[in-house]
Amino acid sequence: MAITREAVLRIIAEESGQDVAKLVPGTKLQDLDISSIDLVSAIFTIEDKLDVTIAPEDVSPDATIDDLVDMVMARSQA
Amino acid sequence: MSRKVVVTGMGAITGLGHGLDTNWARLARGDGAIRPVEPRLWKDEPDFVMEGVAAWLHPDDVAAAMPQRDLRRLGRLDPFSQFALIAADEAVVQAGLDHHPTLANRTAVVIGCGSNGNATLDRAYERLYVDRAVRAHPQTVPSSMISGPASHIAMMLGVHGPTFVLSSACASSSHALGEAMHMIRSGRVDVAIAGGTEACISLGPWSAWRSLGVLAPDRCRPFSVDRKGMVLGEGAAILVLESEEHARARGAPILGELAGYGATSDAGQITAPQQDTIEQAIRLALADAGVDAGEPMLISAHGTGTPLNDKCEAAALQSVFGADIARSTVIATKSAHGHLIGASGALQFALGLKALAAKTAPPVLNHIATDPDCALPLALGAVPIDHGLLLSNSFAFGGLNAVLVGRCA
Repeated sequence: MAITREAVLRIIAEESGQDVAKLVPGTKLQDLDISSIDLVSAIFTIEDKLDVTIAPEDVSPDATIDDLVDMVMARSQA
Repeated sequence: MSRKVVVTGMGAITGLGHGLDTNWARLARGDGAIRPVEPRLWKDEPDFVMEGVAAWLHPDDVAAAMPQRDLRRLGRLDPFSQFALIAADEAVVQAGLDHHPTLANRTAVVIGCGSNGNATLDRAYERLYVDRAVRAHPQTVPSSMISGPASHIAMMLGVHGPTFVLSSACASSSHALGEAMHMIRSGRVDVAIAGGTEACISLGPWSAWRSLGVLAPDRCRPFSVDRKGMVLGEGAAILVLESEEHARARGAPILGELAGYGATSDAGQITAPQQDTIEQAIRLALADAGVDAGEPMLISAHGTGTPLNDKCEAAALQSVFGADIARSTVIATKSAHGHLIGASGALQFALGLKALAAKTAPPVLNHIATDPDCALPLALGAVPIDHGLLLSNSFAFGGLNAVLVGRCA
C-alpha cells in the first residue's frame, strides 16, 4: 500500500471504528473516541501495511493526528 | 429459597442458519448443514489445506447477522465472540429484556466454551511461525481469551452482574445452563443469559481433531451401523433464563422451563465415556426435576456418532429407563448441525424445547440401520410427539457429564 496521508488516516479510522471525517489534523489522539488498545492496533496495522517501524512508546498521548501522520511519512522516507 | 426457572428467550446461529426458528425449521424437515470445508483461512499450500466435512458458517453470513448495535468498544471480535453476540442479541430481544433495568444488576452471563478464539490464535501463529513476523497483533489476547464472549455480551447489553465463561469441553453449555439455573434458584440473580459458543473450524483445532481419529469422513450417523465418528460444527446457542416470578411480573413470554440438572465426573479415562457416571448424571437430573424415569419424554441424545460414545449412551439410557424407554422418543440433532463442542448442550436444549412446542421430533439423519448395541426408539423421520418433558444429554472428554431436564411451556 502506498504511503499517503489518506492511507494512514484510513487505517486509524478502520481500526477505531471512527468516521475518517472526524480525524481532524490538530486533534490530540487522547481526545479521540479511541481506546488505548485500538490506538495500539492502529499503529500496529500502519507498521504492517505501510512497512514502517513505530514502537507504541514513540507515540505520545499528547501527539496530534498530524504528529502521527508526519512520523509515519518521515520514517517511510528514512 | 428455590425458585422455578423458566426460559423467556432463545437465540442461535449454526451451520443451519441464523435464528433459532430457522435452525428449527431446517432441522424439522431433515435438512442437514454438513458440507465440505473450504480452506478459507490459510495459504493455499498443500499442508495447510483443510479437508473433510463440517457444519460451518461463511464469514460473510456471520457479518450479515451481527447485531445492529454500536459494538466499537468491544475490540476485534473472533468468530466465537461474534456467534455469542448474535445468539445473545436474539434471545434478549425475544425475552423483551433489551434495556430492561434488571439487566444491569440482577442478571448473570454464564457462557460455556470448550476452547477459545481459535481463528485469532491461528492467525497470530501464522504471523510468527510462517511469516516470521516479530510481533503478534496487539488484539490477540483480548480477542482469543476464553472469557471474551461473556465479556462481550455483558458489554453489549450493559450487564454488571456475575459474568464468566465456564469450560467443560463438550458439556460446557449444559453446565453453563445448569449452574445459571442454580444462581436463579438461590436468588443470587433474577435473570441469566446462558448458553454456549464455539468456533473451532480453523486449521489448528481442525488438525488436532483429525489427529484424534474421531472425525467421520462424510456424515454423522448417530446410533447407526457403520457410524464412523463425529462431524464438527460451529456457532452459538444462548438462552435467557429467568425466575418464574420475575418473568410473570413483567408479562414475558414463557417458552419452557429448565427444571433439572445433574452433573457428574467419570474420574476415569480422558476420552472414553463411562456408563455408570453417565447414568448417575441422568438420574440426578431427573430427580432434580422431580421426574420419574417411567415417564415418557423427548430424549435429546449426546449422540456424537462415534462408535464408543453412542454405544455407552444407549446402554446408559436403557439402564435408567428400562422397558419404559419405548414410550420415549430419542433424537440426535448433531446429525444435522454437527458437534458444536461447548455450544452443543445449549443448542440441543433450545431445539428440544422447540420440538416439544411443535409436538414434533426432528429426524435423526443419515441412519443406515439399527446397531443392536444401540437399540433406542429413534425418530428416523419427523415423528409426531406429545411429550411434555425433555432430557438433554452432554458427555464430554475428560469424563465431564451434564444432563438437563426441561418442560414445555
